[in-house]
Amino acid sequence: MYNFKSGISQIDQVTGGFESGTNFLILAPSMSLAEELAFSLTKPFPGEYAIVLSTNDRASEIVEAFKMMNIDKRYVGIIDAITKSSIPGITDTNRLMFVASPTDLTGIGIKFSKMVELIFDGEFSDGESGLFPPPIRFCVNSISTLLMYRKLEVLYQFLHVLTSKVKKIDGVCFYLLNNESFDEKTISLIKQLMNGVVEVKIDQNNQYLRIQGLKGVSSDWMKFLMQKGQVVIG
Amino acid sequence: MISTGINGIDEMLGGGIPKGSRVLYSLEPGVDGQIFMISTLISALSKGLSCLVIIPHTTFDVFKHEAATKRGCTLEIFNKKIAYIDAVDRDRIQKSSRNRKDIQNAWEIRVKKLCTENAVEVVFLYLDLIYEDLGLDGAFAIVDSAKTSKKTTLIVENLNLEGRHLIDAFLTDSKFDLIITLNSSLHSLPRFNYFTLLHASWSKIPSRSVPFITTQGKVVLYIPKIVITGPSQTGKSTFVKNASDIGFSIDRKGTTGDPTTVAMDFGWLNWKDFDITLYGTPGEPRFDSLVPKLLSHAMGAVLMIDATKPQSLERARYHLKLMIEKHLVMIIAANKSDLPDTMSDSEIRKGLKIDKNIPIFFISANRKADVKLVLETLVDFIVQMSP
Repeated sequence: MYNFKSGISQIDQVTGGFESGTNFLILAPSMSLAEELAFSLTKPFPGEYAIVLSTNDRASEIVEAFKMMNIDKRYVGIIDAITKSSIPGITDTNRLMFVASPTDLTGIGIKFSKMVELIFDGEFSDGESGLFPPPIRFCVNSISTLLMYRKLEVLYQFLHVLTSKVKKIDGVCFYLLNNESFDEKTISLIKQLMNGVVEVKIDQNNQYLRIQGLKGVSSDWMKFLMQKGQVVIG
Repeated sequence: MISTGINGIDEMLGGGIPKGSRVLYSLEPGVDGQIFMISTLISALSKGLSCLVIIPHTTFDVFKHEAATKRGCTLEIFNKKIAYIDAVDRDRIQKSSRNRKDIQNAWEIRVKKLCTENAVEVVFLYLDLIYEDLGLDGAFAIVDSAKTSKKTTLIVENLNLEGRHLIDAFLTDSKFDLIITLNSSLHSLPRFNYFTLLHASWSKIPSRSVPFITTQGKVVLYIPKIVITGPSQTGKSTFVKNASDIGFSIDRKGTTGDPTTVAMDFGWLNWKDFDITLYGTPGEPRFDSLVPKLLSHAMGAVLMIDATKPQSLERARYHLKLMIEKHLVMIIAANKSDLPDTMSDSEIRKGLKIDKNIPIFFISANRKADVKLVLETLVDFIVQMSP
């Protein structure tokens, strides 16, 4: 079974990383480094691919964020749910796809499938890894925004389908959710779909994270900071 | 009749959709089926019909661009024939209404007004956001309000996140005349989409599923390819013959005096609404260069082995390797299992070096029931109707 390295040596040495076919919720307050953390966990290692669904930032901003982490953009696909509303004529490429708005779950589902299909067919990038099934990291940034546009029950059903597909294709997916904006019932419901949770908290200007659901890793809070797109513990 | 814009479906429906019908395109998440609705829209516009497009999830500008991208033709030339209600209107309705009842009234008034003013003949409605806003009864009320005359045709697209019971509601509660579901196989590769014509009130055709691809703005229905392969004299030709409604084999007498396939076997059958084409490969090593070509683009394969000949397994491993390289959904059929001294399941697995994930069926290719069972199971695996 393929394991997706977290890039955090303390975790990878113990567990080997995230097991394929798993879904992790990143639960974090506003103004934390949650997005950077999510991108860091999503960045593709050699031979891997990443697909980011962005409901907050334009594709160009996501590309820039990955560029800052020195990631080869040939292995990163972005589904942008922001830009099309202001530039209706923008067209899809293999690695940049656009949907009408975060409301458009039909479009989001189709673009996810299309991008995965391109990767599986070896048509996504000019430098294929040769691994099969191709290891794909996904990032949904964010559930918080999707919840502003769609009802919880509908989004739950949609995420149920998405998490199942991630499992089916042996990928790993990280979903961002702001834990300050939604009630406990909402968070509990979303958690039901996940294999684990990465929680972030801010305390006296320090950032802490803890991971639940990753075998062998303590669920104690660990102080962390981000350095050049890399999670540094301690 | 209004054409769906997809010839194959029009033919299945007896020419298209009768005017005044209610039509549902029900999309499973992830399946690229939006072209069905857009094809029908462009077909209606091309016939000069006046259309109302209700797109609460997006703006009309974005919709026009998406339609042009998907279908390769611009909607601009039909501007005089299209009225629309888009995401901007939905936003206005939401903001100006105090409760759900107000929202529903506002929708109904707006839909009726546009239908009347523009003498709308066909309404295209993207339903899932309205369903979310108003519930199923409210959504059906909007559907009813769009039918300003008996001849108004209603075409609805809905993202179905709830499964079959929601489709049943469309059938029973709102009496839709035509229901087409759009699905995809759950396998990662080979991946394919298929539609199922579940119900057509004006036709007695049985429920039917057909895979499709979208290419150059068109929906192309296609027939799956299933390959029967394996060493010679394992019963591949007999299997194809007994599986098929129609079939033939290209044989010559082999060195043993028995007929051997020198090109391939062909067979066609219809099962579970799928039209299936079977290809049987030759088993003689001198035809090995043909086998990878025959396996290309197959959706599944059956590896035939002779259950009475352990020595044939080494040769079968060659065919198995090709199937694995193509990532095919596969089943192993251990033929001649009605004869004495056959290998056991574990002996075959050991000989082929396979684990329990690949099912082995012990069959006699002479028995049609055995052959059908293998194919039924394989097709189930391909479309993931069963685990």
